[in-house]
Amino acid sequence: MGKTFKGRAILPANLIGEALVSRQGFNTYASFYNSLHDDAESAECADSGNTELFGRNMMGKIICLPKTSGSTSAGAVWQRVASLGVAPKAMLFARSIDSLAAGGLIVADIWTHHRICTVDQLGEDFLLAVQDGDWLKVREDGTVQIINTQQG
Amino acid sequence: MIDADHLNIHLLQDELDILQGAQGPLLQKIMETVVLYGEALEAGRLVDIEGPGHFVIPWSSPGIAPPIELLEELADAGLKTKFPFTLDPKPPFDFENLYVRPEEEAVIKAMYCNQARYDELMIQLGLRDQDAYTCNPYQPEVGNIPARDTVLAWSESACAVYANSVLGARTNRNGAIMDILTNIIGKTPLAGLLTDEGRRATWLVEIRTDNLPNPQLLGAAIGLKVFEDVPYIVNLDCYLNPDLDSKTTDFLQEMGTACATYGAVGLFHVENVTPEAVDFGKDLLVPGFQTYVIDDHELQNLLYSFPLLWTDENPKAERCYIGCPHLSLHQLYWWANAIQLALQAHSKKRLAIDTVLYAAPKVLELFKKDESVYFQLKEAGVKFSPACSETIFETRLCSGRPILTNSTKLRAYTTARFIPDEALVEALVTGKVD
Repeated sequence: MGKTFKGRAILPANLIGEALVSRQGFNTYASFYNSLHDDAESAECADSGNTELFGRNMMGKIICLPKTSGSTSAGAVWQRVASLGVAPKAMLFARSIDSLAAGGLIVADIWTHHRICTVDQLGEDFLLAVQDGDWLKVREDGTVQIINTQQG
Repeated sequence: MIDADHLNIHLLQDELDILQGAQGPLLQKIMETVVLYGEALEAGRLVDIEGPGHFVIPWSSPGIAPPIELLEELADAGLKTKFPFTLDPKPPFDFENLYVRPEEEAVIKAMYCNQARYDELMIQLGLRDQDAYTCNPYQPEVGNIPARDTVLAWSESACAVYANSVLGARTNRNGAIMDILTNIIGKTPLAGLLTDEGRRATWLVEIRTDNLPNPQLLGAAIGLKVFEDVPYIVNLDCYLNPDLDSKTTDFLQEMGTACATYGAVGLFHVENVTPEAVDFGKDLLVPGFQTYVIDDHELQNLLYSFPLLWTDENPKAERCYIGCPHLSLHQLYWWANAIQLALQAHSKKRLAIDTVLYAAPKVLELFKKDESVYFQLKEAGVKFSPACSETIFETRLCSGRPILTNSTKLRAYTTARFIPDEALVEALVTGKVD
């Protein structure tokens, strides 16, 4: 049984997926900069300042992060990547969600009818424990379980 | 639909009525969005927005802008923001001012093919007027200058941090789309930077540089360190003026923009300078605050850490974009003077690099009335634009090309190379970039 963390479900869902971990602030606009055009088929992270995620495909992954950072343009970015079908499956925040991410993810949910599962307040220990490539089970009550860690 | 019985946020009866559909399904959907936003931010309640907005997205570019269909749904229902709003700079359609190549022009035209409709919708939704496009709306020539303690719901990170810090107004960092929705409903969650507790500082930032540091580098350093927290900055008061003269406000605007870009800073206090710091001093610091010391070495290291993203590492620089965020009138004159002095010193009449200065339409209008200065700069090869320099990079056609800037924000989002102001002036005249 893997480690379990309890957060606050903001946009709840039951799902299983693969973790991509950013221990630094996730700059939404910079990260999706190359994934916003009509024929986008994937979401390679374009933020050269994020050494953990730069160049990696975020589509369908579970992004584990402290918070988001950067431009307020991010609000519309979430709506766009959701409608293009290149969004991550879930966003798991170690800290309380920031206003940019909250607004963008909620707008995407209500106005695009495309849910990106969102859980916050998972704690700093969560970011210390989770590794890239881990498989995570997310429950709609905000529970996150590491079910298959890369480190064995 | 939200189950109102399970909300933590307290709603007034009129807010509950809208949430339950009393004013139709569209306002119900907007209220649902705003209420869920409040829940996420752990707001106790919603509060009335008390002043004009400033919003981040002025372009019809898919992916960054709200979808046209969403805006049409709002406008067709006759909805409008409670107060007129200003908007970030327009897309770069003034090709004669931009030194762009024909292939870039073609892509820009195609990218923003819906712009006329977008502009029309913005007017319908409450845009103040056709000149209200700038990322420096609190310039006196533009006039979106909220009074202290006014509750706002602004987006554009550079403007939100300025409104909070320098004007002492109160806004959270709202994202695109949420900005319009909250300003239509006229309410925003009481959370974060709207509260006294949320405005207290958790970092003491001590400046120990030999001279007034470059604001763009200083802001980037602070943003990278404190991330989303509120810094209380000391030792800048020997350079800046609590009367908030142009030199001071320009400095704080550039510093704040970089803080917001490299971190998520929505508010800073500068001891003896910004309004809340003048009133409350170090009482703004929470117990157990952290400390960050910035000296010249720290800023130099940051400058050298910026990677060179030009495709060819040693080309001749072809363009320079100055004014992200938009320049004030005072800054336009600073550049005019610095460029003229440098040209004289090198016995030259024209810059070696094609240069564009970006500022608000109303600021440029006033500057151009000073014909001797304006025409001198034009003859030196300087052009002037009210557009947004960052949007030019969205064509992808100038990514990796040798473009210079004095903006750490533009550097963060594009492949432009940052050079501090004084060194940049020298590079513009000589064409040489160290």
